[in-house]
Amino acid sequence: MVGPAGQRRPQTIAAAAIALTVLVPPLTGNLYYVHVATVIGVYWILIATLNLLVGYTGTLSIGHIGLLAIGAYTFAILAGTVGWNSYLALLAGGVLCASIGLLLGLPSLRLPGFYFAMVTTAFGLIVSELALAEGWLTNGSVGMAAPTFPAPFASPDGFYTLVTLIGALVTWLCWNLARSMWGGRMMAVRDSRIAALSLGIPPARTKLIVFVFSGFSAGIAGGLFATSQSYITPDAFTFNLGLYFFVSIIIGGRGSIIGPFIGAVLLALIPELVGSLQKYGTFFYGAILLAVVLLIPGGFGELAARIGSGPKAGTSDATGTGPDLGRLHEAITRL
Amino acid sequence: MLLVLISGLALGALYGMTAIVYNVTYSTAKVLSFGTGHFAMVGGIIGAFLILGLHWPIWAGLLGCLLVGALFGYATELLAVRRVLVSSDQHLWVLSTLALAIMVQEAMGLWWGTDPTPFPHLFAQQRGGLLDQKYWLPIIAAALMAGGLEIFYRHTLLGKIFVAVSEDDFAARARGLDTGRVRTLSFVMAGTLGALSGFAAGQLTFADFNLGTTLSLAGFIAAALGGIGSSLGAMVGGVVMGLLTAFTSHFFGAEYQKTIAIGLLALVLVSRPQGLFGRPLMRDV
Repeated sequence: MVGPAGQRRPQTIAAAAIALTVLVPPLTGNLYYVHVATVIGVYWILIATLNLLVGYTGTLSIGHIGLLAIGAYTFAILAGTVGWNSYLALLAGGVLCASIGLLLGLPSLRLPGFYFAMVTTAFGLIVSELALAEGWLTNGSVGMAAPTFPAPFASPDGFYTLVTLIGALVTWLCWNLARSMWGGRMMAVRDSRIAALSLGIPPARTKLIVFVFSGFSAGIAGGLFATSQSYITPDAFTFNLGLYFFVSIIIGGRGSIIGPFIGAVLLALIPELVGSLQKYGTFFYGAILLAVVLLIPGGFGELAARIGSGPKAGTSDATGTGPDLGRLHEAITRL
Repeated sequence: MLLVLISGLALGALYGMTAIVYNVTYSTAKVLSFGTGHFAMVGGIIGAFLILGLHWPIWAGLLGCLLVGALFGYATELLAVRRVLVSSDQHLWVLSTLALAIMVQEAMGLWWGTDPTPFPHLFAQQRGGLLDQKYWLPIIAAALMAGGLEIFYRHTLLGKIFVAVSEDDFAARARGLDTGRVRTLSFVMAGTLGALSGFAAGQLTFADFNLGTTLSLAGFIAAALGGIGSSLGAMVGGVVMGLLTAFTSHFFGAEYQKTIAIGLLALVLVSRPQGLFGRPLMRDV
């Protein structure tokens, strides 16, 4: 999705479509819709940067739920119990999660994928374990109330605006990062560690920087999550929620930003729309994940791109023996 | 204190068995399945269901439980491994085995219920304490499993085929071995052994749908600690993990089990990535 001129038009259309969709929930005047949209927006703030990690560098982090929880508790404690300014507390949560990301990533990002997936799984479990155990800090299973933000963002609509603004900012940052040299760097690390090394790209450091960035935004998302829920308990941060973040990226497609966005929105909406699915929610995530991995490893983003680019590109990919002069010509003229 | 020690050993035996199951699939397929702990979870639940629910005799329950485990292993290979290994992306199997593990866990949770339920006593026993069978069964099963696998790998033709495939998949194929079938067989074996470990440790863990993830994690830490691929390492890693878990819950409370375990994993991975008994990781150039 790195945008050469030919692809920019659909992207502009997509951005406009998203901007319009974002406006819909407040216009309905239904508080529940606004709430759902806010929560999806909060999730997206986390998913957008997790996508850089999972989709671009190919690092399988399943434990971002732990960072979300730490962000949420930091915000609730600093802004609620201690009485800090809300924005300052939000920022503190982000910084704390970024530092934890650094500490966690430093030893584990050098390891093969499964090791890292296991370490992050364990991290997610540990955080919920500690949130339950350290009652003096987190109030244990009773949970704690989360404060709201000051005036313009205090109402549900206002808070939704704040989440949208931060979400847009994070998306913009990710998009810039993905289409700059960094995007190429990250994908090089994902597709071939050896090739990346030979080009002077340090894989572990690249992953670490992305991990720290995603930790920061997970912390921010955590603070916003606390406010959106208005009351947090350790139960709010289930492993299944972490799974949702992860699955929406995989089904959305790696190396794309719009794909995971659509994935995140759809996966969050489907259980809301079909009430009976809620019980089977996690089973459903697993089934979708398996189906995507087996049938379309590139995710729906790739599928859409394949359909969208028409039969010409499709056939040239399929045969791929002779030179495709049409595409070559197109590529040269594009330069 | 002796009770803490023996319960730690029993837990360690379960972790060690899970680590061995990791080794079985890793050696032939180079796949570490996320659902490795789920084999034991399924074994425990099916065992409890057959014996307590359907009132089967214990030997029939064990047989049925092993059969289901073997089927689960076969399904893992068929659904989550076979097609994924063909593709060039090396990490896809992490996702596919994770997906399958989640589906099995949720299906078990929906069918069996989310509360841990007791597992039947396999032998009549007068009183608990140190001689309680819930401690000794997993330890005996682990010893039998480690010993049996060693004999299998060294003294049977099929075992030697397994070793050949794990040493050099390509050379084994050149010698006319059907590596795909060996891989399938190794997953069937892994499922069976996993179910056996869950059955043997059922009285210790209860029939709990949530056991899988924890056990996958603990077994993996045991395997990483001992060095992936080594049976001895798996048992030693398992016992270290089990003792650590038992003593930390005894002294600091059960809340810190996972924290200590992950600390151990981080320590091992930083200082000795190949584990205590493993061969150094090769650079994939």
